[in-house]
Amino acid sequence: MSYIENSEQLTGPFGEALARGELIVQKCNSCSELIMYPKYRCPSCFGNDLDWHAVSGRGQLLTYTVLRFGAPSSFDVEPPYAIGIVRLEEGPQLTGRLHPGPDGTWDHYRCDEPVAFEPAEAAEVAQRPAAWFAAPQES
Amino acid sequence: MSNMPYPEPGSASDAAFIGIGEIPSGKYPTRGFMAQLVEAAARAIADSGLKHTDIDQLVLIPNLHGIPDQADLIFSRVVEELGLHGRAKSSMMIHSGGSTSDNATRAAAGLIASGQARNVLVVQSEKWGSADLSAMVDMLSVNGIPREWEGTSGLQFNAIGGLITQRYMHQSGSTPEEMASVCVALREWARLNPNAMWKDRGLTIEQVLGSKLVADPLRAYECPYLADGAAAFVMTSATEARKKHDNWVRIAGSGGCVSHYSSGQDAELGELGWPKAAVEAYDAAGWGAEEADLAEVYDSYAAVLTIALEGLGLSKKGEAARDFHAKRFSPGGGFPLNTNGGLLSAGHTGVGGGMALLVEAIRQLLHRAEPERQVPSAQRCIVGGSGGSYMDAQIMMLERVEK
Ligand SMILES: [Zn+2]
Repeated sequence: MSYIENSEQLTGPFGEALARGELIVQKCNSCSELIMYPKYRCPSCFGNDLDWHAVSGRGQLLTYTVLRFGAPSSFDVEPPYAIGIVRLEEGPQLTGRLHPGPDGTWDHYRCDEPVAFEPAEAAEVAQRPAAWFAAPQES
Repeated sequence: MSNMPYPEPGSASDAAFIGIGEIPSGKYPTRGFMAQLVEAAARAIADSGLKHTDIDQLVLIPNLHGIPDQADLIFSRVVEELGLHGRAKSSMMIHSGGSTSDNATRAAAGLIASGQARNVLVVQSEKWGSADLSAMVDMLSVNGIPREWEGTSGLQFNAIGGLITQRYMHQSGSTPEEMASVCVALREWARLNPNAMWKDRGLTIEQVLGSKLVADPLRAYECPYLADGAAAFVMTSATEARKKHDNWVRIAGSGGCVSHYSSGQDAELGELGWPKAAVEAYDAAGWGAEEADLAEVYDSYAAVLTIALEGLGLSKKGEAARDFHAKRFSPGGGFPLNTNGGLLSAGHTGVGGGMALLVEAIRQLLHRAEPERQVPSAQRCIVGGSGGSYMDAQIMMLERVEK
């Protein structure tokens, strides 16, 4: 029986989807569990018949922060930048980046408020494959 | 709920803390890693009343500053440094980040309970305070954080603190002043601890709120300072302890919950693993928050501590920061907490931050703290640790035993 053999196989489809402007999460074909972050085995039924599933991109911002100092050098982004944890409508949650508002700040974000997936430009996604979110009113 | 048979108190399988050792935390660039470790070990052995040759088991707590020093720990350099070569039965390392000291306690107690060790030395040394800061930022950003899923968003340790603090403040309605008061209370304790990094410098709420934003809503004075330090303890069985000591400290029970690996995957960012771990620990010990005389709980950020206190039942849900603001956890307040100053004011010595809290708990229960901060007739202490991105909540229920 085949299985996911390395982290490139595990993470590759997610980054490829982001590059197409889509947000996908892993799905277990055996028990239909939606899984994020993707795993080698389904955390629910422990099966390994795993696939991918497009999600709406709508969710709730659980929490967020604006990092202003001390970005990891490997990340290669000049702070400030904002990171959020989003619980998707479909259930899974993930960490991603938050777009600034028109004023260049992240002051308009609030915990538990809605956010929606809004992909970053292709060059950014190619370098740092992360899901970006924005508050709906400014998307 | 616990179904674990805990050792009969006072029996040969009942583990007993009999000695502690610690050196001051802070920036000590000329103090070497192994020199610190040997000094802390020697102080703990002296405090235990044993000879160094009585130690038959070493449990080493890893450093997070560099691989060569780690290799020295792994490959038994400490055995030679302590003159135990040809005598020690075993030398090993235990590692779970900030909760290592709790898991090392479990391992040491288990070795004693199962008759595999007689006298265990647990020792830790760290050189974070003298390490290159940007190298440490990078090290802490790629380790303990999922590179594929959160590294790509630029997550690092202060950002994790910011995420948890934001969620906690949202859920509890705590104000910036109330959050800052946590750091101020810890500083007040640190002023009473000769081993604390910030023993000579006071801190006010205004100073905290006047410091620069680092990872909203966290400000610079709300982030832990990396420090050099070392600490150790000696554990034996109650039957051995009885021969030389009138009192010692036993483990009444423990509880634990590993809630997540990734910050983004913790379903309850405002709770972490504490409520579940507390139920287990209190059930095992037969006592809980109401009966404790003090607590020593992992505090690398204020919200990490307030969340833990609420999960432990030491504060009502959502009220811990306001309890700090009302001085309940300050020296002279209603409940002594993190009496060494915690990681936030005694210094963040990596894995040693939890170790320093544990050693302070043992010190308090042995009634060997300096008089200014000794909790009068302390009998019971709750110790809480947490590692990585607050991946786990580990609770040790410690109690003083008098012969
Ligand atoms: Zn499944």
